[in-house]
Amino acid sequence: MREYNIVITGVGGQGVLTAANILGWAALRAGYKVRLGEVHGMSQRFGSVISYVRFGEDVYGSMVPEGKADVMLSFEPVEALRYVNYLKEGGMVVVNTKPIVPVQVSMGMAKYPSLDEIRKVFEEDFKAKWIGFNAEELAEKAGHVVTTNTVLIGALTQIPEFPLDAEHVREVIKISVPPKAVEMNMKAFDLGIKAAKEILGL
Amino acid sequence: MAKVSDIVLWDKPGERVLLLGNQAIARGALEANIAVYAAYPGTPSSELTDTMAVVSKKAGVYMEYSTNEKVAFETALAAAWSGLRAMTAMKHVGLNVAADTFMSAVGMGVEGGFVIMVADDPSMWSSQNEQDTRIYAKFANVPVLEPSDPHEAKEMTKYAFELSEKFKHFVILRTTTRTSHARGDVVLGELPEEIKQGKRKFGKFKKDPNRFVDVPANARKFHPIILEKIEKIREELNNCPFNWIEGSENAKVGIIAPGLSYAYVKEALAWLGVDDVKILKLGTPFPVPYGLLEKFFEGLEKVLIVEELEPVVEEQVKTWAYDKGLTIPIHGKDLVPRVYEMTTRRAVTAIAKFLGLETPINFEELDAKYEKVKPLLPPRPPSLCPACPHRNSFYAIKKATRARAIYPSDIGCYTLGLLPPLQTVDTTVAMGASIGIAHGLSIAQNGSLSEEQRNPEKQVIVATIGDSTFYHTGLPALANAIYNRSNVLIVVLDNLVTAMTGDQPNPSTGQTPHGMGKRIPIEDVAKAMGADFVAVVDPYDIKTTYETIKKALEVEGVSVVVSRQVCALYKVGQMRRRGEKWPIYQVNEEKCTGCRVCINAYGCPAIYWDEEKRQARVEPTMCWGCGGCAQVCPFGAFEPVEEGSQ
Ligand code: SF4
Ligand code: SF4
Repeated sequence: MREYNIVITGVGGQGVLTAANILGWAALRAGYKVRLGEVHGMSQRFGSVISYVRFGEDVYGSMVPEGKADVMLSFEPVEALRYVNYLKEGGMVVVNTKPIVPVQVSMGMAKYPSLDEIRKVFEEDFKAKWIGFNAEELAEKAGHVVTTNTVLIGALTQIPEFPLDAEHVREVIKISVPPKAVEMNMKAFDLGIKAAKEILGL
Repeated sequence: MAKVSDIVLWDKPGERVLLLGNQAIARGALEANIAVYAAYPGTPSSELTDTMAVVSKKAGVYMEYSTNEKVAFETALAAAWSGLRAMTAMKHVGLNVAADTFMSAVGMGVEGGFVIMVADDPSMWSSQNEQDTRIYAKFANVPVLEPSDPHEAKEMTKYAFELSEKFKHFVILRTTTRTSHARGDVVLGELPEEIKQGKRKFGKFKKDPNRFVDVPANARKFHPIILEKIEKIREELNNCPFNWIEGSENAKVGIIAPGLSYAYVKEALAWLGVDDVKILKLGTPFPVPYGLLEKFFEGLEKVLIVEELEPVVEEQVKTWAYDKGLTIPIHGKDLVPRVYEMTTRRAVTAIAKFLGLETPINFEELDAKYEKVKPLLPPRPPSLCPACPHRNSFYAIKKATRARAIYPSDIGCYTLGLLPPLQTVDTTVAMGASIGIAHGLSIAQNGSLSEEQRNPEKQVIVATIGDSTFYHTGLPALANAIYNRSNVLIVVLDNLVTAMTGDQPNPSTGQTPHGMGKRIPIEDVAKAMGADFVAVVDPYDIKTTYETIKKALEVEGVSVVVSRQVCALYKVGQMRRRGEKWPIYQVNEEKCTGCRVCINAYGCPAIYWDEEKRQARVEPTMCWGCGGCAQVCPFGAFEPVEEGSQ
């Protein structure tokens, strides 16, 4: 495989970086050349963030160019929409549908679009496939909302032709979370897998 | 995956690991047997310093968080004068702070290898400007090495120490955000015995006043020495392992790609499916080695230089070509933008134009499609955290001044006080500048208390500055304002940590990477300097903070209010680690009148507006339990309801 490109989007503090790191290590352990691009500093404080995960035999830069992402993993619906131009035609988006409303919206300075509006842009204008579900709810079921990113990563591993083995990714999560949180995260991972399978009709 | 601090110290040569560019540089410094490291944090350089902080003890390296870049520079430089390998790191604007020492000491050279890591921030993701450090390097006649990926960053760090030692000259290792903050596969090398054993290395300074005393008689000798050194280094770099020619030998077109641009050029060529090109990969954008240029230009009919920001390589190449009498077209900034960072898209677009090809994706079409999405997007700028003590300080300042003051502020997360609803930041220029600007504004509009003629209508000026920034460059400005009898209020937002760059300690924290240093309370400094009013408040107590600020505003002269409460992000991180819980506040539906004060005047990101009920609500996963909302709501609607443990 020459290259596989993932963009991860969300709100600073949601665990976007951690998710990228987990996928990066899984790819490294699968023998690929890996590049991750991430945001630090000011932009991480509850602002909009995007991280890049690239792996394959032939990767150079750490940023995925616009129009070249095979898949997007998004922690928040508006933050998926903000970076929709990174998806390639026919790409996929795995998205947590639970919104985080920006202060500007609460203050009445801006409007938050409806989930239908967002989905329509992905499906109609950008010809992308939409896998949306409330990952936070599943995370709570698994034990705690902090496992939301594990739920989403679980779902990601189920998309067609995803080059990393789900069990492989699971192993990396196991060794990267604190020991007492392993069980909860494994449960979250499974719930993510199940959700994606249902949506994809697998 | 193992902890990064462990990986950086792993004695496993040949192991492939995933490291951040900055962490790879730390590993490179260890592989080079570094002895002293001193720096002031600054995005995107900070993780290098933080990594050194966590590994230094085990590796036997002295490491410190200095109060500013100039001091850090001097600490490391003196160690290099003592024959040790030493390093300092900073962001691009940090070099402005260190520039005074940098420019003056370069002629003195070094004994042990001395590497200055400077992280540029093209596109200004976390910075106040977009300067290109390679111009500084050229200005000072110091060679600059620029890696194209994390592994090369590690290797180059080792090479930088060797080059520095060989020529007894400073060496700059320049990264950009996308190398410092890129993770990539890195192959670990050998660690020296001393590092493995954690043996602290001590140096010896040999006196040589003719060299180390910068009186004009000595300084006059330096400039020719520097020029001679840089030309010798230019020669040497013909054989630098990070410079090479690749691609098709008989190609008629060539591309010069310095530093990280090499990665973008390679990707762009693959994407375009073009391989009939010769590439000059340049790890040393200054000085460009002429021998390599000579070889590269052979048989070429046109050349493109793909470099980020300023035409540093382009100017050197064009000058060289002119002197050689070469007349083939050399393109650069006519096809590659001079502002903002390089991207694959930019490289692909420039190369396509250069070769007369179509881009692989119709970017204009994509942009047009995206234009239609933009109106749907609510803005989401970064914001002060939930429970952030600065929010309360700003809230109290705004209330006490009835939003009528001028608010000079400074560099740190509190700069976010600029955004609505707080809007209590009117100026931010550079580290420590808030106090200087406040003083200047006061002199311009009110006059100094030592003057006979003053403006009877006093303009209230309230400066804000963080604890780390206060010690960075606030101190001399404060002395100046007090001495020259300004009429200003300075609120020091003391959250006891350098929060924006990742919770590094500073004199107000007292802690050092080695244990307890000596804490210096800001109020003691202000008193000792002779401020006319000094007080300490806890911003979590909004009422008292407000009242103290009111009182301070009545005092003529320089007032200093230290608003002290530990950084919320830092505190919550610590509590999470210890498994502690905090209360979560919720809105009592019976009491909330929908006045929106909590949203429109206070703006904690955990509080949002419920359109249906027309009331405020708290997002429980974001509440960090400070109780600020409960103090702000005029109807007592916020109540702590349950234990959280987010
Ligand atoms: S300030 Fe109090 S009453 Fe006003 S909207 Fe907020 S919670 Fe409701
Ligand atoms: S207690 Fe109130 S002000 Fe503090 S974090 Fe929670 S919602 Fe925000």
